[in-house]
Amino acid sequence: MAVVKLDRITKRYDADGPPAVDSVSLTIADGEFMVLLGPSGCGKSTTLRMIAGLETITDGELAIDDTVINNVPAKDRDIAMVFQSYALYPHMNVRNNLAFGLRRRGFDRHEIQRRVEDAARILELTDYLDRKPFALSGGQRQRVALGRAIVRDPKVFLLDEPLSNLDAALRVSTRGELIKQHRRLGTTMIYVTHDQVEAMTMGSRICIMNGGRIAQVGRPMDVYSYPADTFVARFLGSPGMNLISATVASADGVQVLKLGEANLLLPTEAPSQALGDGAAVLVGIRPEDFYDTRNLRPTTRSCPLKSKVSAVEPLGADTLVLVQIAGTDNEVMARLGRDVEVAAGDILELHVDLDAVRLFEPDTGRALMAKPNGTTGAD
Amino acid sequence: MTISRNTISHALLLIALSLYTAYAAGPFAWTAMMSVRTTPEISDNPYAWPTVWHWSKYADAWLSSNYATYFWNSAVVVSVSVVLLSVIGAMAAHCLARYRFPGNRIVYFIIFSTIIFPPQITIIALFQVLVDYGLFNSHIGLILVYVSVQLPLTVFLLEGFFARLPQDLFDAARMDGYSDFEIFWRITVPVGFPAILTTVILNTIHLWNEFLYAVVLITDDEKRTLPLGIQKFLGDRLEDIGMIATGMMIAIIPIIVIYTLFSEKLIQGMTAGAVK
Repeated sequence: MAVVKLDRITKRYDADGPPAVDSVSLTIADGEFMVLLGPSGCGKSTTLRMIAGLETITDGELAIDDTVINNVPAKDRDIAMVFQSYALYPHMNVRNNLAFGLRRRGFDRHEIQRRVEDAARILELTDYLDRKPFALSGGQRQRVALGRAIVRDPKVFLLDEPLSNLDAALRVSTRGELIKQHRRLGTTMIYVTHDQVEAMTMGSRICIMNGGRIAQVGRPMDVYSYPADTFVARFLGSPGMNLISATVASADGVQVLKLGEANLLLPTEAPSQALGDGAAVLVGIRPEDFYDTRNLRPTTRSCPLKSKVSAVEPLGADTLVLVQIAGTDNEVMARLGRDVEVAAGDILELHVDLDAVRLFEPDTGRALMAKPNGTTGAD
Repeated sequence: MTISRNTISHALLLIALSLYTAYAAGPFAWTAMMSVRTTPEISDNPYAWPTVWHWSKYADAWLSSNYATYFWNSAVVVSVSVVLLSVIGAMAAHCLARYRFPGNRIVYFIIFSTIIFPPQITIIALFQVLVDYGLFNSHIGLILVYVSVQLPLTVFLLEGFFARLPQDLFDAARMDGYSDFEIFWRITVPVGFPAILTTVILNTIHLWNEFLYAVVLITDDEKRTLPLGIQKFLGDRLEDIGMIATGMMIAIIPIIVIYTLFSEKLIQGMTAGAVK
């Protein structure tokens, strides 16, 4: 059992400067696959290194299974780490790379041999045990790095962007391999990445970090569907959520969102605070929640939006269309089907899926929508 | 018949290389020829090819002119110095490259800045220090001087190489449970071996030929190193050019052997890390 608890963990490299990690609190359940996701410099790798014991903790408490381990050396934390650069010892062959850590911990050579051979068999490295790292491909090296962690049989696995050095095709296959290994081992894994696809496909939960703080934690689809603030809304998704300024108004006794010439009905889920007429809000609409007239599902609660096409990006599987909403200077990106035939300058009537619309405070960027259970925001 | 541009450029390159080879290797070849000729033969025609090859001159120099002793002294002094330089230099370079401690860069700068001082500036002070500590005219004193004057360059070369080793390697070793010294011994030394070997070769070549410190700090004939032995020939037998040449060849041959055997490693060590 390995529950990892971070309680207001802070890291400062300079006493006068801003913290690299600022009061991060997070509990990772036993056997969970937690993904730390965020842009470069957000503090996710620093957080991981503090859990590993490779960085000191300036403030706060780190505990594994209720035992505080702030001052426990890295070698005594029963944690194994897979590094971004694999960190394979170049002067040792694969067998010795796998065995190196076990020898130091005093395992007898039969046990070491058994663990090395088991890990090699699972990761299909048996034929490469006598090779040195320079004679391996990128994918093979990545498996050796993973094998070195597996042979340790630790309480917690830490993975620091292990797929970032692989080509796109290999990344896809290795992602599946990692998910398979997690299911097989059932060990708590904490995975750092800046790649949203990895986060969405691999994590039991994802923790979005920004500027050293946690922006949101929750199940991938919950965080994607209910972003806690405008940062998460823009960061997740490719392209990210469109954010458009709008005003609340009343029309025929019903509250609407005035968006240029269009009036959008408020979403079904009530905002977390009352919105009076004249209140300014940011309306968030994901590109895939726009539909053209032909593809609109009859059950979708929608609203028409007149727009003028600014640019078209055919991607093959679908088409990204940049449009200017009528009556505003706002441009939004819509993801439409591959059969859409429009050109810059065309007038296009789009439909918005009203149930997918999200509202945010313009000043703070915080979401105004109610969140489903299991998703926490920055508060 | 037209001559292609390629042929002309190759010919020019060949000429340039030949001229430089003659310039660089010429003195060595001439010394080698003189080493198997007698002094009267050399006086008659300094540049002639040997008509009789007097290989016995090597035996004579080695046995009758104390060259065996000078060779042994050089071998001991240089070997011990190079071993100390490699161990101390590697450890210092590892600490400077891998650890953040207050004054890291100041220590590095102080060590590095001593490279700019020519030996003539420090020789008198060194002489006095060795006399005061009873180390003057001793191999131990000379070894300590050699280590101290070569250490800055050794640390500089090794620190540059060690700093390029990925930090992840050391983090992985820490997580595997290895102590700081074990990490140095099991990771830094084997991975940094090309650079260490480069400094071994460079230090060996430099100290083997070192003359200034040796001539000031060693006075006993029995303790002289090879360069002093040759100088003795120059002083005592100013006319015996043949024996001087033979002595020089005895001094040069070990360096040539080392360089021939390890030149590839030397180049690898100097260029390691230049290309990712």
